[in-house]
Amino acid sequence: MSIEQAEESALTDRRGGGPLANAEPPPPGFLRQAVRDTVSSRTARFGLAWLVVLALSAVFAPFLANTHPIALKTDSGWSSPLLHALHPTDVLLLIAFVESLVLLVLRQFTFLKGAGIVSLTLLVLAYPAYRFVRPPATEDYTRFRTLIAEGHVQTVWMTPIPYSPTDRLRDDPRARLLRPSRAHYLGTDTNGADVASNILHASRIALSIGFISTGLSVVIGVVIGGFMGYYAGIFDLLGMRLIEIFEAIPRLLLLITITAFVQERNIYLMMVVIGITGWTGYARYLRGEFFSLRKQDFVQAAIAAGLPERSVVFRHLLPNGLTPVLVSTTFSVASAIVLESTLTFLGLGLVDEASWGGMLNQARAGGSGFVWWIAMFPGLAIFLTVFSYNLVGEAIRDALDPKLQSRA
Amino acid sequence: MFTYVIRRVLLLVPTLLGITLVVFTVMATTPGGMGASLLGKDLELRPAQRKAYEVYLNERFGLNQPLHVQYLRWLRRVLPVGFKKVGAGFPSGWTFGLKVPDLGYSFSRGRPVGTLILEALPITLLLESLSLPLTYLIAVGTGIRAAISRGQLADVGIGTILIGLYSLPEIWVGVLLIGFLTNREIIHWFPSNGLHDVLAESMPYLPHWTAAGFERGWLLDTLWHLALPLLCFSYASFAFLSRLMRASILDTLGMDFVRTARAKGLSGKTVLYRHVLRNSLISLITASSGILPGLIAGSFIVETIFGVPGMGKLTIDAVNSRDRDLFMSLTLITSLLQLIGFLIADLAYAVVDPRVTYVD
Repeated sequence: MSIEQAEESALTDRRGGGPLANAEPPPPGFLRQAVRDTVSSRTARFGLAWLVVLALSAVFAPFLANTHPIALKTDSGWSSPLLHALHPTDVLLLIAFVESLVLLVLRQFTFLKGAGIVSLTLLVLAYPAYRFVRPPATEDYTRFRTLIAEGHVQTVWMTPIPYSPTDRLRDDPRARLLRPSRAHYLGTDTNGADVASNILHASRIALSIGFISTGLSVVIGVVIGGFMGYYAGIFDLLGMRLIEIFEAIPRLLLLITITAFVQERNIYLMMVVIGITGWTGYARYLRGEFFSLRKQDFVQAAIAAGLPERSVVFRHLLPNGLTPVLVSTTFSVASAIVLESTLTFLGLGLVDEASWGGMLNQARAGGSGFVWWIAMFPGLAIFLTVFSYNLVGEAIRDALDPKLQSRA
Repeated sequence: MFTYVIRRVLLLVPTLLGITLVVFTVMATTPGGMGASLLGKDLELRPAQRKAYEVYLNERFGLNQPLHVQYLRWLRRVLPVGFKKVGAGFPSGWTFGLKVPDLGYSFSRGRPVGTLILEALPITLLLESLSLPLTYLIAVGTGIRAAISRGQLADVGIGTILIGLYSLPEIWVGVLLIGFLTNREIIHWFPSNGLHDVLAESMPYLPHWTAAGFERGWLLDTLWHLALPLLCFSYASFAFLSRLMRASILDTLGMDFVRTARAKGLSGKTVLYRHVLRNSLISLITASSGILPGLIAGSFIVETIFGVPGMGKLTIDAVNSRDRDLFMSLTLITSLLQLIGFLIADLAYAVVDPRVTYVD
């Protein structure tokens, strides 16, 4: 019997199905059913709705809040300053968004494959985007304002919020700390920047930090946990000590240690740092799963059939052990967002970038007393996002937990 | 059981060593290193003086040594056991025994680290020891309420509110509490900063009435200052524990012994409070090891926002002033406390539940 045949027979032994289908339920698919259950929960629907709003505002942030007009008609004809000022990131995000929409409409691929295709395009397009999309090096926010004020402009289309997050209206001290009004929907901060625009643009940071740091945690946790669970012995002993060390230092303390002693902090550092401190739970979980899976018949059969390690690990152990690990990712996305804003709040996070935690810090320590609109709205944004992730996470857990299902 | 405790305590040693090594490496490998920030960024010195000062500091704190030497030196000072020189000659003149660990000297505060920690630790422990019983009491109540009305509106409502509670970021709650409740222009019910009033030292201990009216006294003053930090400190773990309590009661309700108790004809109340509740509490005890890190992390945020001079604020200050000795010792003590917390939770589990025994 060749290896392929052996693999086939071992696969049919556990009643076929896709690589992610669990042994018990027949074709409609365990995962599909779980997704259906999740979406049918009312609280989860609220959470999903908010997350969709957040994702849309992250993708279209420059088209929703920008000082540069969308279109402008002057004596020399029509122009679009907004398109000229777009950053490579903005363009890439738009492409990814359109591509995801197309893939969703086509319904040809599974979720994982779709995500893979989108990230692959992003990787391929990243270089040309950074090479050819060249926003002006310095952003001149006053130019169009003076143009309009001096009456050189015949027609102008502005974005719904006509201020960029870094548009600090510096020349005008009267623009600082304005209450919410029709001009600034959520007021302005201590530098005269528009709060609504900042909140909108900061949604990018929140979303990307959550996803990428959680992804990193999962990868590290799965690799370490997989080694511990598969090889056991000395790997297991050393791995457990490593996990204990990482768990005994409170996570926030570890994060503070790393961020405080790094001079140049940026968003990538924050992602990596939050990612490498959050893997222990996944490693622990996968190790346990591997230990119990190894005793089960289909794995024993696969080993006895002489399948190579690669096949045993990647086709039998991992697909079955991974699902419970993935359940808790929603919660860790939520906690990554909280951690980032907490670090920024403590002055140990992002510098000079629109971030919800940084705005909260300004409300507290801005030197001008308590400013309720800077405190209220960014905090509300953090809360709603975390709340949504937790609601969705609860719904997913309920849908995937067979113990709860049997009792319901 | 006894051997289990001994083994767990011995396993603390390599873990603690690993922790200090991780933290030391992080501090040492960052650009600029530990000395850079210490070497008087804001001192106005002439180049020659500056050079001399740098050399002095390097000598004084051993910063010019290789990293492993620095680490081992620090370890030797901190360890509670070590070699002592009592006479001439080697090795005959040396003894091995217990010594008082020397936690070093804080660069930024100009005081020994030991005294700083002895001042800060009781405050954080006070905060935690007030918060824990409070959260447990309320959590058990809410958990029972939600569990007995399972699936009804009360249960779903309580459940969603609780998820909302632990989704509330502490930084936001803290800022809002300070902003709205301690503000002279809005509502000034609570003090905004610190642990005591300026005049607290001259207050009598208990509240009393004098000719001038009501005097709140030292105890009430402290509690008044602690109220908001406690609230901000407790709500998240309360929400977590209530949900756990609900799940645990539901688990226990499905067990055979509950059916037996019902079949014997016991009343619903007796079954709930004498049979179900006691068994459900077990999982709450194991969970305490899960909320300990949350409490310690919470103290960073709460103490910084409310200006409570505990361990959390000391840590943030140490980080901001790049105070090596202070920071290393704080990490060591915080992790030690946490590991001891884990150990106590595991042991309490065995004490409460006779089915659990630790044999090796």
